[in-house]
Amino acid sequence: MLKTNPAFAASVKTASNFNAAACINCGSCTALCPLGVDLHPRTLFRYVLIGAEEKLLENTSVIYSCLLCRMCEDNCPADVPIAENIRSLRSYINRTRFGLMKG
Amino acid sequence: MTDNSERRLGVYICYCGGNISDYVDVEKVADAVRNDPFVAAARTNMFTCSDAAQHDMITEIQEKKLDGIVIASCSPKLHLNTFKAMAERAGLNPYQYTQVNIREQCSWAHTHSKDAATEKAIRLVRAGIARTALMRPLNRLRVDTTPSVLVIGAGIAGLRSALALSDMGISVFIIEHEQQAGGMVGRLGKMFPNGKKGSDLINSLLNAVKRRENISLFTSARLVEKNGSVGKFSVKISTANGDIISLTVGAIIVTTGFTPYQPSETEFGFGLNGVLTLPEYADLLNHANGSLKFNCRDVNTVSFIYCVGSREHLKENNAHTYCSRYCCTAAVHAALQAAEVKPDIQQYHIFRDIRTYGKYEVLYEESLKRGSVFLRYEESDPPQVTSRDGKLQVTVKDHLTGGDEIEINTDLVVLVTGMTPTANSDLVNILKLPIGKDGFYNEIHPKLKPVETVIDGLFIAGTAQGPKTASESVASSMAAASKVAGLLLKGYIDLEPLVARVDASLCTWCGACEKACPYGAVQHLHCDGKEIAGIDPVLCKGEGGCVPVCPYNAIEVEGYTNKQITSMIDALAREVA
Repeated sequence: MLKTNPAFAASVKTASNFNAAACINCGSCTALCPLGVDLHPRTLFRYVLIGAEEKLLENTSVIYSCLLCRMCEDNCPADVPIAENIRSLRSYINRTRFGLMKG
Repeated sequence: MTDNSERRLGVYICYCGGNISDYVDVEKVADAVRNDPFVAAARTNMFTCSDAAQHDMITEIQEKKLDGIVIASCSPKLHLNTFKAMAERAGLNPYQYTQVNIREQCSWAHTHSKDAATEKAIRLVRAGIARTALMRPLNRLRVDTTPSVLVIGAGIAGLRSALALSDMGISVFIIEHEQQAGGMVGRLGKMFPNGKKGSDLINSLLNAVKRRENISLFTSARLVEKNGSVGKFSVKISTANGDIISLTVGAIIVTTGFTPYQPSETEFGFGLNGVLTLPEYADLLNHANGSLKFNCRDVNTVSFIYCVGSREHLKENNAHTYCSRYCCTAAVHAALQAAEVKPDIQQYHIFRDIRTYGKYEVLYEESLKRGSVFLRYEESDPPQVTSRDGKLQVTVKDHLTGGDEIEINTDLVVLVTGMTPTANSDLVNILKLPIGKDGFYNEIHPKLKPVETVIDGLFIAGTAQGPKTASESVASSMAAASKVAGLLLKGYIDLEPLVARVDASLCTWCGACEKACPYGAVQHLHCDGKEIAGIDPVLCKGEGGCVPVCPYNAIEVEGYTNKQITSMIDALAREVA
């Protein structure tokens, strides 16, 4: 059971340029990822949209393993700023989990 | 019956440019009937409907003094009126004309055998000749019309059609059973797509109605009686103070609207504090005044559950199987309004399919951009709404995370409820309104006769007919207004004379015909101390249901008399040489 935390979704969105509303869940990003990560960017973003913070934090290592090569972003049919979104998530985790970037 | 020994008929067989002649030997058909009784001329045409062919036929009718014509060509649906008009131009009575369909019912149907198709065509043409030989000249029934109309229901559809009719010089009586005119839209705040308030729209219509001298609006009023028929209905209405007013109107438009679906107790948690229907939530938003609060508490999270009371596949008879059309767009619009009031509001849309069709798709996209989250559920696996410590939770499976079960803590649950038909048995009984399977009033044809009913002069519009958005309701009400104006502005209506008639000497009034007639055209008459059936030729459609039930063969339908039918059967059965 995933519990939603509206405050989480709101804080990711307001603190950064996170924007995944346009995602149409086509899966191109996953297919193109050179790392073959276990988690699909679309699923990751979905967790943020519905506010499933726990689920996102469980996948911290995946978020940090991204090369930011933008292969997915170049080929995204919905123009979702995927790499920028990953950076936003890192920023959120840095702030809330690692206590970095205060003030 | 006319003595037919002297009949002089013209018979014209059409090639239809090959459509008929590819499979029917049309020259052989013409030859076969040329010397039959009553036939004074028989010839073929490449295209009988062409101007040149019509010209030649008119000349022949006049030169040979023909008194009836048979044209064997396409379906009467295509050219019956073409040739009726031609007969009139030639000086013939238009009811001395029979169209025989040897295309759809012969050449196109029997492409496997040219001989058999030709033989069938000969038999069909002979039957047409037999019928025409026994046809007597008839005149269309002219009925004078009253230039006034009764509109039942003063919602947006009723008011708008009343104004349109008033503009065209037709007097309008509007009756509304509630104390206040305006209907559902009158209670609404901001509506899609342009954000105008429903109450403002209704007020502007009501102000316009008040300025018209030829519109009378009665509130707390009901229809209690209706008599007469198209062009001249006599109606009685009861008013607020109990008076009965008698009116004569040429037509009636029914715009009685819908009833919002009321969820049953416990359906998606309905009954729990914070579970609202869409109209209730719209009302909350309408009174939001800068901050969105429910029971004095801030609303931070809203969960919409769609298709409540719509698109049901329940086995019960009264399942609402239809889509209510307006609710997806209304819910998405409500989400946008809430985001206006409270930009950081979190909104979950738990839907089956989003149908923000046509121009309203932009509202869906806009709500996505504003952060609305959409989660799709299957009808077989609906979301659950529960309450714990005064807080609401919605549990739903999310396909996009691979079927993870998600629990949403939410301040409000909005059940996106659809439209249901308004049960009004009194009105249905008085007007004999046709009702469809879904409970809404039924038009004749959803595309070709979308506001007409099987009862001449009785029109339906708006959501009384089926779920519609407000703009669709108004569009249909304008369609009804234009149909009414088309009917009444001429001052008279010409009706087909092919109706039933009763032989008073044979009739003993058993009432069987009255029961058989779906149009209420049979009347119980007392004539010279005898009880007999009478037919109202304006109500009769010549459908013939009364003919076979009469134990004394006292009823015949003009144009299809027993004698005509018998002679047609004889002609069909005659051997083809």
